[in-house]
Amino acid sequence: MVFAGVLIGIVVGAIPGLNGAIGISLLLPLTFTMEPQIGLLLLGGIYMGGMYGGSITAILINVPGDVVAAPVAMEGYPLTQQGRAKEALYYSIFSSMFGGFIGVMILIFFTPPLARLALQFGPAEMFFVSLSGLIVVGALSGSYLKAAFAVLFGLFISTIGIDMITGSERFTFGSVDLRSGISVVPVVLGLFCFAEMFLNIGKKPSEQVKYRDQNISRTSVLTSILKARFLVWKSGLIGTVVGLLPGVGTTLAVFMSYGEAKRVSKQPGLFEKGNPEGIIAAESANNATVGSSMVPLLALGVPGSPTSAIIAGALVIHGIILGPSLFVNRPDVAYTFLYGMLLTVVAMTIIGAVGIKYFSYILKIRMEYIVPTVLVFALFGAYSLRNSLFDVLIALVLGIAGAIFKKIEVPLAPIIIGVVLGPLIETNLARAMRIAGARDVPLVQYMLSSPLAIGLLIMVLVLLVVVVQMRRKTG
Amino acid sequence: MTKKMKLATLFGAPFLLAASGAALAQDYPTGNIQIIVPYSAGGGGDTVARIIADRLSDELGQQVNVVNREGAGGEIGIAEMAGSDPDGYTLGVFGYPDNFVLENTRDTSFDNDSFEYLASFDDMPMGIFSGPGSELDSLEAMRSYGEENPGALVIGESGAIGLLNILALSDDLGIETTPVLYSGGGELMNALLGNHIDLASTSSMSHDPITDAGGTPIGFAAAERMDMFPDVPTFKEQGIDLEMGVSRVMVAPTGLPDEVRDILTSALDEISTNEAMIENFQNASLPYRYLNAEETEEMVERSNNVLSPIIEENLEQFNID
Repeated sequence: MVFAGVLIGIVVGAIPGLNGAIGISLLLPLTFTMEPQIGLLLLGGIYMGGMYGGSITAILINVPGDVVAAPVAMEGYPLTQQGRAKEALYYSIFSSMFGGFIGVMILIFFTPPLARLALQFGPAEMFFVSLSGLIVVGALSGSYLKAAFAVLFGLFISTIGIDMITGSERFTFGSVDLRSGISVVPVVLGLFCFAEMFLNIGKKPSEQVKYRDQNISRTSVLTSILKARFLVWKSGLIGTVVGLLPGVGTTLAVFMSYGEAKRVSKQPGLFEKGNPEGIIAAESANNATVGSSMVPLLALGVPGSPTSAIIAGALVIHGIILGPSLFVNRPDVAYTFLYGMLLTVVAMTIIGAVGIKYFSYILKIRMEYIVPTVLVFALFGAYSLRNSLFDVLIALVLGIAGAIFKKIEVPLAPIIIGVVLGPLIETNLARAMRIAGARDVPLVQYMLSSPLAIGLLIMVLVLLVVVVQMRRKTG
Repeated sequence: MTKKMKLATLFGAPFLLAASGAALAQDYPTGNIQIIVPYSAGGGGDTVARIIADRLSDELGQQVNVVNREGAGGEIGIAEMAGSDPDGYTLGVFGYPDNFVLENTRDTSFDNDSFEYLASFDDMPMGIFSGPGSELDSLEAMRSYGEENPGALVIGESGAIGLLNILALSDDLGIETTPVLYSGGGELMNALLGNHIDLASTSSMSHDPITDAGGTPIGFAAAERMDMFPDVPTFKEQGIDLEMGVSRVMVAPTGLPDEVRDILTSALDEISTNEAMIENFQNASLPYRYLNAEETEEMVERSNNVLSPIIEENLEQFNID
């Protein structure tokens, strides 16, 4: 069951626009009739596999299956262009494995203290963490101006729709569809998937990436990952801590850990040109979030990510109440699930490591066949999120915009970061203002009322200085 | 059968089916039925729809599919359902009074006459909870705190009905409070348990996770104490006559042929006593209460009359997403 789950997860994750959350909601009804443990393991497997699957297409054809795979595409695809696709895939699977293990081990051993930590994050703390995510943009390459434009464009997209706090409609032009805002999935599909495919149309065969059989042993990749164990641990821990936060922990974690890897790297110039360090950082962080997003779920009944929210729904159907009492009332379910999550990591590694040889055959397929196939899946993916044609339209429009941006070298990742973080920064600041107003204290005093918030503010300032200096060095 | 004939049957079948379906309503249902749920998968409304879909499909002998069409606080899905053909093949399940709040606070394409109620399945009262270590343990404590510190009570909510609950309760207590919107039940719980807000206005379904983590249920806006939580007092017992809750209803676009309507309502009546289904509801902490079509219409009318003035007085407070 674990294997089945992981396999479904990888396939669903690899298809652009579909991710673990969608895979889980499709299979949710099936689990109603299963034993709760079995059903949970199936869903846990999909979650874990889905986090990895997106990277395969990201590396091979520069189309991240999911937003969390975007940084992997930035490093992995250049490697593919250099004929090192297999190597990139091995880096990806083994880093996912380490990240997955770190996350699940932490889930098993440190759930109670981490759950308490997650609760410390109020509006002020969330605001500072999100700000630090925005600063990461500065660490990515590209010209200052273009990166700034990209992130502002992303923030702008995120303002469309009904404002969470005041309820006013912004840029909706009376359309019901625009009222509910533009969600991240069609944006990612448009910018990364459609744009890439549009640019591929009309390319001469000689310009395309050729499949090359690369002689690369799994152990050599493993050894070099182990050499970078400090990076693996750090990325895994970033993934774990940021993944705890309810909302968009995963995306934030991946970009933060990627930016951090670039910041400390001895060869920052190699980033976005195919640096395995970037893959290691991003992959260990995203699979680490799988475990940690379950921490608040198991300990408090508070889901940390959309996927874990659906898993919570599945548990509820079986009459299993989440929270501290779970370990007392249904230890069988709780512990099977915890240790089963370790199995999902093992299953993912086996399927990934064996499958890589076959995955990389994708490169043998001519682009004429890949482009329409990917486009069809992407259209389907954009539609399936909310069963909405409007989302498909958004993805197409942003696909054209993305293709233009790529031509004029506007970086795309900052747009995504802006779309994801914009609402977090805004609503948390607005909440902070509202609560500070109710308590009759100045906003600054409220924002800095906890040691954690002060610590995070210092982190934001330090990051800012470091990024500015880094920019100066690399130019 | 020759190849050509097979092809002809293959391509012709859907048209034949559609034609016969339209002509002979008494043969209903001859094809798949879809239930539009205007929320994402995994929540309470979605769970109700899936449980019902499963049983209804057995009863009617046709596949019943749940389609999630979330967005704009339910507006998109409800609008789509209300605008589809009244042929019995598109139904909707949502939490009343989401539709009523939407149509009174926004320029929606639907109103109460756009669909007819077929049944309702549960009755989940709203409640007020305080966080771990809080001294607020009763409505009386809320009142005295609120009177001393006007506007200082920060109450979190995660949707229109939660906000309605805060507004009505604050009015009845005669105090001023500050509602703060969270984008989901999970976020709201996190804020309450981390003591970032004083109180949370959420459904009785959140009872167990909150009490497990040391929080206190102050009361439920129910007519009487709930079977599931006999220790939690009602607002009424504490001197505030307020009933407010979510009820998952099944609806169809207005204009169903009588035959189709009868087939659907009697199928729903039939499954309403199914033990296994009731157990599904109980397992999911959904307080099961079946009302047939007529009873549901009555319940909705009664409730609309209670909600109307509260919404009208507080129109500027509404911002649903």
